[in-house]
Amino acid sequence: MRVPLSWLREYVDVDLSPEALAERLTLLGMEVKSIERRGAEWQNVVVGELLSVDRHPRADRLSLTRVSVGGGEPLEVVCGATNIAAGQRVPVALPGAVLPGDRRIERTEKMGVVSNGMLCSGDELRLTGDADGILILPSDTPLGVPLGDLFGDVVLDVDVKPNRGDALSIVGLAREVAAVTEAVVRWPDAALTEAGPPTVDRLRVDIEDPSLCPRFVGRWVAGVRVGPSPDRVQMRLLAAGIRPISNVVDASNYVMMELGKPIHTFDAAAIHDGRIVVRLARPGERLTTLDHVERELHAETLLIADPAGPLAIAGVMGGAASEVSDATRDVVVESAIFDPISIRRTAFRYGLRSEASLRFEKGQEHRLARIGADRTAKLLADWAGGAVAPGALDTNPVDPEPGRVAFRPARVNLLLGTSLSAPEQRALLERVGMEIETAPPGDVAVQVSAGERPLTVVAAAAETLVAVVPTWRRDIAIEADIIEEVARVRGYELIPATLPSTPVPAFRSSPVELRDGVRGALVGAGLAEVVTHALVSPRHLERASWARPITAADGETAAAGTPISVTNPLSADHAILRQSLVADLLDVVSTNARRGRTDVAIFEVGRGYGRVGEATQEWWRLGIALWGAFEIPAWNRPVRDADLDDAKGVIELLARYLGLGAPTYTGIADEPILHPGRAAEAVARDDQGGTGLTGRLGELHPGLAEAWEIRGGSVVVAELSIRGLTTGALPIPRAVAPSRYPDVERDVAVVVDEARPSGDLAAVIRTRGGPLLQDVRLFDVYRGAPLADGARSLAFRLRFAAEDRTLAEAEIEAAMADVMNALQEAGGRIRG
Amino acid sequence: MDLVQLTRDLEDLRAEALGQVAVAPDSAALEELEIEVLGKKGRLTGVLRGIGALAAEDRPRVGAVANTVRQTIEAALRERGAALRNSELEARLRLERVDVTTPGRPVRRGSLHPSIEAMGDIARIFAQFGFVVHESPEVEDDRTNFQMLNIPPDHPARDLWDTLYVDVPGHLLRTHTSPGQIRVMQAMRPPIRALLPGRCFRYEAVDASHGFEFFQVEGLMVDEGTTLGDLKGLLDQFAHAMFGARKRTRFRPGYYPFTEPSVAFDVECLVCGGSGCPACGRSGWMTILGAGMVHPVVLQYGGLDPERYQGFAFGMGPERISMLKHGITDLRLFMENDLRFLEQFR
Repeated sequence: MRVPLSWLREYVDVDLSPEALAERLTLLGMEVKSIERRGAEWQNVVVGELLSVDRHPRADRLSLTRVSVGGGEPLEVVCGATNIAAGQRVPVALPGAVLPGDRRIERTEKMGVVSNGMLCSGDELRLTGDADGILILPSDTPLGVPLGDLFGDVVLDVDVKPNRGDALSIVGLAREVAAVTEAVVRWPDAALTEAGPPTVDRLRVDIEDPSLCPRFVGRWVAGVRVGPSPDRVQMRLLAAGIRPISNVVDASNYVMMELGKPIHTFDAAAIHDGRIVVRLARPGERLTTLDHVERELHAETLLIADPAGPLAIAGVMGGAASEVSDATRDVVVESAIFDPISIRRTAFRYGLRSEASLRFEKGQEHRLARIGADRTAKLLADWAGGAVAPGALDTNPVDPEPGRVAFRPARVNLLLGTSLSAPEQRALLERVGMEIETAPPGDVAVQVSAGERPLTVVAAAAETLVAVVPTWRRDIAIEADIIEEVARVRGYELIPATLPSTPVPAFRSSPVELRDGVRGALVGAGLAEVVTHALVSPRHLERASWARPITAADGETAAAGTPISVTNPLSADHAILRQSLVADLLDVVSTNARRGRTDVAIFEVGRGYGRVGEATQEWWRLGIALWGAFEIPAWNRPVRDADLDDAKGVIELLARYLGLGAPTYTGIADEPILHPGRAAEAVARDDQGGTGLTGRLGELHPGLAEAWEIRGGSVVVAELSIRGLTTGALPIPRAVAPSRYPDVERDVAVVVDEARPSGDLAAVIRTRGGPLLQDVRLFDVYRGAPLADGARSLAFRLRFAAEDRTLAEAEIEAAMADVMNALQEAGGRIRG
Repeated sequence: MDLVQLTRDLEDLRAEALGQVAVAPDSAALEELEIEVLGKKGRLTGVLRGIGALAAEDRPRVGAVANTVRQTIEAALRERGAALRNSELEARLRLERVDVTTPGRPVRRGSLHPSIEAMGDIARIFAQFGFVVHESPEVEDDRTNFQMLNIPPDHPARDLWDTLYVDVPGHLLRTHTSPGQIRVMQAMRPPIRALLPGRCFRYEAVDASHGFEFFQVEGLMVDEGTTLGDLKGLLDQFAHAMFGARKRTRFRPGYYPFTEPSVAFDVECLVCGGSGCPACGRSGWMTILGAGMVHPVVLQYGGLDPERYQGFAFGMGPERISMLKHGITDLRLFMENDLRFLEQFR
């Protein structure tokens, strides 16, 4: 909320500098977001007096004026406005002046006459809304004084929190200032001179459901002359961020800013029979609102109506037909209180949230309805010359009793960590308008919690005080609210900083430990971590979804269910929750490639989301994408593009890191997003046979790479489920002392059909290699003469060892014989 | 063959061999020469074959001469060999010279994403005070995200969280990590010290300081007698650990429906040091987190008796922490994933 200090000072004395005031308010919880100095931008604009106004000798539409700006010779200034006359005081921009919008004023020749500056309109100074005429200043405005000294203002932009509707007003903030400075708040003058027939003879109000409109105060102001508001009023409203419209509309806006009470004014002639009905809309009813939109009214809409039909959407927007216009003679002032929830829903429903609805939906102090009506009527009388009809129409004139909230001073200290005496607490609370009573004898019910889960506890009267809460503080209902007020008024800066000395919870391992370990391992392997959007476009999902979900590793959540859509998406690009990481990673590859990168190696540890019936499911996966040079290009080695084997290398690294056996790969040809000949399922197991890592990897299908506009080289992607990614700790490896006896290595080469996976043969060797076989490693693949076409030779190196002895040649020969037999049984030919 | 002749032959062999040693061009030639002269079938052996024809008493004398000859030649070979190896080594070193000013063969290292790293940094600091990481769902139910945090439907405070709703009845994308408070309280008994990092979503247009997806880190501590003063002390420690021990902090009232009293926590502007600059809106302070004492209603929804237990919660944006720390001015960089940006975070 924008608060002009000149306005604030009307209700409370402020001795502080704007900066100091801003700091005090901020420390009180009314955060000042910025301090604006209005008028700081006017340079070289001073008050002048028009000595003479004559017609310009060569232009009928211009005047030639002589202006005194105090000392020195009078200046000749040419002016195009028609509202000026000799004797008036006006703002004069002297040559060299700068006006808002960086408009520079120089000495210029206008139709043969030199103009030594410019007379300014209110709009040119951003001081009032009037752009048609020169701003005529009061006749006692001191001559020659810089305008900024007289009409400049300081505006604080205060962030009023949603629970403090009472502070969404100048008076409300004056109360906050008073809480700091202990000054006295002065209320605006609402004393009225009344004349003519009484209001109740002219106006009737029926309220169908008082729970939706607990109070309606109406006043009748007769014989107004609609026109612009006084300049000072316009200046204030503009400074507060409100556009001046007319004296009637400005009066209601002025009261809203001043008291926080939204007011609506009707052209009395538009109210049939002077009869107002406050009711819900009926089926099929329509209303053209002030913004000239005809709206079909929803049944939950609270209306101000008359016997003929709707006049306004209560608390949200008036109707065009009953709007105050230049022809309006009599004005009906509506100052009502509506159900906050009803107003909030209605404002959202029609997309019409305004300064008024914002205040209504935070709730209104009951007595403000009458004060607001009277104050508006007074301003109408003062600014528009209306005659205020005696009395007000008031549906609920009795103000409710203020709330009483019991609190325990000891509890205040227990929660805050302070040691404030009861009298100290009382004094602090009195500064925000509370009265503190001693508790009645006997047991006192202390409200600890309210709302859906009310909780009261019983305390002894001697340990309890009762705060009588000012009626404007609708946010204070329970003991904790009182505790906050004590802390707030005293200042949070005085809360002693201590360190917790309560028991420390038992050890619990971190659910991100394994995830962090995996991330570290991948970074060590040269991959960059990315974080992409969980919300993706449906097109993404269509293009790059796995045909079958990635199998979950042991203990991990399965990727299950249908995709979850956002019902109110910001854009179609982010309308659905992802089920796989691949599409997002392709986006990153594509973006970086477009920006000139030639090497992309990335990973993301992220969640997928699915809906199963009425429940939702989330699962963690690791996604990897490699494209372009796998190693940093350098002068001292050839560039080598990443391929499937690099992805396998990364997966094998992870398997080692996680204490799993080497992954096994199984070819798959039915995964549409991958190259059918270069795609595999990977599984790595622990020594108990548990599945520690599962997933899919492969070269992206060339068609898909094209769709992502990734050109040159293939993209290799993988998505893995890893045991422990959700909550796991890193496994602790068992360390084994190396055998003191030498290893023995033997090679075997086997010729097989090209289509025969090497993994099969490695598996054959592993199963038939006997207990001494430690390790099998493919070390060479050969094609060509003398081998037949379509055949290849796979060379494996086998490592044998025993912990307790040097192996005898015969043992190894026996094991090798078994292996070779097994390979032959498996359809291979041993190459001599 | 007589003694004199044999002795002369040995002397000749010595002279000739020494001459050859002296002119041997390289170690290979020298090795050949050694074998040719001193080897089993070498010239020295050849000369000594004649020894059998000598009288028995002459044989030792010839043997002595032969020994001397052998030793002389061996010494010459050693000397010449050393010299040759030396010069050959020098030649090799000259040959093997490289341009040492060229850059090395680069070793690749990846990078950790700054959002995740900032969450890790925060967790590491609070771990020192006994806070343990917990996680909760991102697709949250409406009640846990709002009602149980004391934000009833149609409450004006809902304006603080523009929400993305999903097509699963009663669910939404969590707008903050605070629903995790409820889940932690429901899952465990005090003493509770929990840290809840994770992804959040809001219906918010993207600009330099807003995004519709971002991360938060929530903290929760509940026990008997945990005070606002404890919160203040702990946050001071955090700010000092994160931004430097001498940084001033400011503890002031804030507003959240799920805390009472509520707190906003500022640290002195890291750009201007508190004198006021555009980065801090001329206030000298930068707000780094919101906090407060857990509202009694929230404790109740968590299954705890607010008369017995009390505690505090706090929440912060790791991206904001990261931006302040690293001098980043645009939040969008975090999800743009331009490797030129990401690779700065080793």
